[in-house]
Amino acid sequence: MSTARTHVLLCTGTGCSSAGSLVTRDKLREELKKAGLGDEIRVVETGCMGRCDLGPCALVYPDDTFYQFVKPADVKALVEEHFVKGRPFEKLLPRDPVTKSVIATKEDFAFFRLQANVIRRNCGVINPENIEEYIARDGYAALGKVLTQWKPEQVIAEIKASGLRGRGGAGFPTGVKWELMAKVPSAIKYVVCNADEGDPGAFMNRSVIEGDPHSIVEGMIIGGYAMGANQGYIYIRAEYPLAIKRLQIAIDQAYKYGLLGANLFETGFRFDLELRIGAGAFVCGEETALMRSIEGRRGQPMPRPPFPAQRGLWGYPTNINNVETWSAVPIIIRNGAPWYATIGTERTKGTKVFALTGKIKNTGLAEVTFGTPLRDIIYEIGGGILGGKQFKAVQTGGPSGGVIPASHLDTPVEYESLQKLGSIMGSGGMVVMDEDSCMVDVARFFLEFCCDESCGKCPPCRVGTRQMLGLLEKICRGEASLDDLKLLEDLCHTVKDASLCGLGQTAPNPVLTTLRYFRHEYEQHIREHRCAAGVCSALAISPCENTCPLHMNIPAFLQLLKEDRIEDAFEQVVMDNPLPSSTGRVCQHPCEIRCRRAQADAPVNMRETHRYIGDIAYESPIARRVLKRILKRKKKPTGKNVAVIGAGPAGLSAAFYLALLGHNVTVYEKAADAGGMLRYALPEYRLPKHIVDKEIGLIKAVGVKFQFNAQLGKNIKLDKLAKENDAVFIAVGTWEEQALGVPGDDAKGLFSSLSFLNAASVGKKTRLGEKVLVIGGGNSAIDAARTAMRQGAVVTIVYRRSREDMPAIQEEVEQALEEGAKLMTMLAPVRLVTDEKGKLTGLEVAKTVPGKYDSRGRRVPVVTKETFVIPCDAIIKAIGEKADSVLTKGLGLETTSWGTIKVDPWTLQTSNPKVYAGGDYVTGAANVSTAMGYGKKAAKQIDLALTGLDRFEELWPKFEFDNTVPPASQGGARNPARVIPPEERVGNTEVSPTFTEWQAKSECYRCLRCDIKVEAK
Amino acid sequence: MNLEQLKQLKEKAQKQIALRESGKKYRVVVSMGTSGIAAGAREVMKTMLDELEKRGIESVEVAVTGEIGMVDAEPVVRVEEAGGEKTTYAKVNPEIARQIVVEHLEKGKKVESVAVGKAKEQE
Repeated sequence: MSTARTHVLLCTGTGCSSAGSLVTRDKLREELKKAGLGDEIRVVETGCMGRCDLGPCALVYPDDTFYQFVKPADVKALVEEHFVKGRPFEKLLPRDPVTKSVIATKEDFAFFRLQANVIRRNCGVINPENIEEYIARDGYAALGKVLTQWKPEQVIAEIKASGLRGRGGAGFPTGVKWELMAKVPSAIKYVVCNADEGDPGAFMNRSVIEGDPHSIVEGMIIGGYAMGANQGYIYIRAEYPLAIKRLQIAIDQAYKYGLLGANLFETGFRFDLELRIGAGAFVCGEETALMRSIEGRRGQPMPRPPFPAQRGLWGYPTNINNVETWSAVPIIIRNGAPWYATIGTERTKGTKVFALTGKIKNTGLAEVTFGTPLRDIIYEIGGGILGGKQFKAVQTGGPSGGVIPASHLDTPVEYESLQKLGSIMGSGGMVVMDEDSCMVDVARFFLEFCCDESCGKCPPCRVGTRQMLGLLEKICRGEASLDDLKLLEDLCHTVKDASLCGLGQTAPNPVLTTLRYFRHEYEQHIREHRCAAGVCSALAISPCENTCPLHMNIPAFLQLLKEDRIEDAFEQVVMDNPLPSSTGRVCQHPCEIRCRRAQADAPVNMRETHRYIGDIAYESPIARRVLKRILKRKKKPTGKNVAVIGAGPAGLSAAFYLALLGHNVTVYEKAADAGGMLRYALPEYRLPKHIVDKEIGLIKAVGVKFQFNAQLGKNIKLDKLAKENDAVFIAVGTWEEQALGVPGDDAKGLFSSLSFLNAASVGKKTRLGEKVLVIGGGNSAIDAARTAMRQGAVVTIVYRRSREDMPAIQEEVEQALEEGAKLMTMLAPVRLVTDEKGKLTGLEVAKTVPGKYDSRGRRVPVVTKETFVIPCDAIIKAIGEKADSVLTKGLGLETTSWGTIKVDPWTLQTSNPKVYAGGDYVTGAANVSTAMGYGKKAAKQIDLALTGLDRFEELWPKFEFDNTVPPASQGGARNPARVIPPEERVGNTEVSPTFTEWQAKSECYRCLRCDIKVEAK
Repeated sequence: MNLEQLKQLKEKAQKQIALRESGKKYRVVVSMGTSGIAAGAREVMKTMLDELEKRGIESVEVAVTGEIGMVDAEPVVRVEEAGGEKTTYAKVNPEIARQIVVEHLEKGKKVESVAVGKAKEQE
């Protein structure tokens, strides 16, 4: 026995081995020997540490240093730095995701520090293939105590008192289960460990087996003693070769050391343990099918009663428990039931290991005490959603479980609380889903799994799941009707009620929970043939088209431009987006988030390209020629009158389509001209008014009439309009500023960004003074800041969250900073400081610190007591707009809880069926393209209501173009939007000139044509 | 295997993995920069490990560090106590190393003649 001064624990579990840890191990031993440190530094192979995504993992004791990605190529440098020189090797240390500083020890690593350490107490700390290390950590002491000092009844009483519940999924009280079997008189009894772990994505049992196999052995012997069994079987699937190997080594060593076999601890008690290896059928995780498999028969479930405790293996009483349950027994005996009962909640004691997978930053194993909120597991331990996307739902319990949406993230995790939400704890799988996951597809995926795994014995499961799957696939193809949805629901209940075993009884759970929380998605697939998440490819032309709020057929106009057919390209653009030059300058381009070209280098710049098409069309005769073609297809007058209230983007689009469909459309607008936010809020240097004029000209040219200075609630009344027209569409937007809500907000010198920008848009300068503060982090704040600077002010933007959390378009923020704006983040306004005349002199702010994560994945800013005053002459508040509350009250329509108009999600009708609504007035402040999407949808729905026909497609031609799939490398690097240097950005000069022809064409070449669908033969 | 045997096996095995447990009473840091190694710090450390093993002392963590800057006082060994107190030993050789183990780490008495760092004892 040599005393090493350092132990390097290298994980050689399945995850890290596949990452190459075995090669790392050999290299490590080689390098240490070369450095003459072979005796001082001991390399120990251990089991899973829980972060397989960081493998190969290593832990150095006594330093407590955690290393990730320890590849063989790094070993030489690691040995040199850490073991020879004594400094941590920074390249392999994990880093804090926010501050980027190194995490020096395992204790500092939040992922590990926040976890409980009961079930996985030995994993990653001991060499699982050396029984002595298990014994060194009190292994087999519990067994010794039980066999020499306790009666079987005492063991059962202790387990009952601890409150331990079965970890296999059902959560049945273990002590009670043991008692039931102990009571049955029989010379032969069996105990079984269910190590089948069939849930896709679950690997917590595997890691306990690979890391601490003796805990299961010891637990089973104790159980055998308590219940009167002398033979145990561990049923483990053949897909776990390393786990099987380590278990067998553990069993062999236990026999060698006299801890298995005859006369244990000289008490005469005999216990034998064997492995039984399963072929990997999911149904064999069900206890009755599992027993059939052990007996060598086909894994098929049997009806219960009789329960295994009465008649199990070969007809004898049998107790089956999960790996985690058996593993918890020795520590409960050692530390006592009262100790265990202090961990967890009232009804559910102890800890549970969850396998966190899916769209989450830290995938791996998380052991938490029961009662921990889901939010903490997903955000604090899991690190939140990958790529800064939005959390959508978490699937718990595998194929037998269900999805839990964001609204229930604060649910404390325990058996009953998850059941109440419609899901189950199951064995502990947690699959995290984001906005890119389609809930219908998720249900389909799990159902397909259950369908494959069904043993076939009973028709409800065998036939029922197959029929359910057929219906789900029909929905995903866009071929289903609402009747199919009803049929699916009925089938779910039938299959659940009539199936023989847990597989069939729980197979409908994913469908039922997704229907419960995401019914809207099913209905959207059926009614609108749309998959918002962009997964069901049969329902979209391409990912970009699907994500665009206007569903522009982007690949089509890119291809047409590529073929030099700019006139056709303009018509292709306008058929979906009647304001291409305006949106081409200000849209937030959600299309780019889903662009597949981004996986090669960067997304295609679709926005600038359709802007180019629009700009060229309007600068040449093209727009007029296309207008003639459009007017030729205009429908005959229907004799119906439609009133559109609001000439903003939503109202303009609705009016455009309705007029082309032959209706008599009048747009009522409270301002002196049309455009809404396009004209009266967006600054000239971003969206020149002459562009807005040209595009509104197109709308006028298709026959839309306008009445200006007509304000709803003042000189025009909704009742009158509803009476005089066949339909009304309200799209008045959100023009009321949110109040700051701090003392002094009646000071002279406080302006709202909307009124400030409004004044600027008609050429009026506001007297601001020299130092101006802008409060806010959205596009409105940036627009206000840049406009104020152009009026001569020195501007500082004050935002209560961090720069990364600012909702404004990032390029706009950068341009603002280039132009000289200062940015102060993590500051919340507390009070406006005024002089004795009530004039503003400064803003008192308080520093904020990031608090808990909210459901949108941003940390809630928590206001501290650290305050200071920023001196200023004026403040522009840009903290958000809301709907005009006075107007809304007067309309008498049903509203949402945040003061906007409530509409039917499919028809956009308000509580008055003749009145439709859309845009910001329905969604709350959003953006131009989303509003236009509502306008287009409203037009379609109104036309459907007035004529009974779906005539939209008839307005537009279907262009033919080349459909050869381009090679991925075509087109070169992305052309970003052109920007003039900061020195040239004075007054109203347009900051971003249009693409050149070359730039636009090269973007067309970059498109991968995801719309081309080829039939696979 | 009976209870007594298990207990003995546990005690023996615990020493094997003792350094993975936290809660050490002492932390010994041997300065192992280039000058330290040249002055013989490796032999000093090996000697300390050997003596610790011989005496079955488990409550000590032994670590190395890089250059500490006291170039002409190497080999330097610093003993840190769980309570926070630090004692620095300079010009340590294998014999002194054994003395440190016996006097300071086992008996808890500093070896004053070799310790440095007390201002009034300088110059």
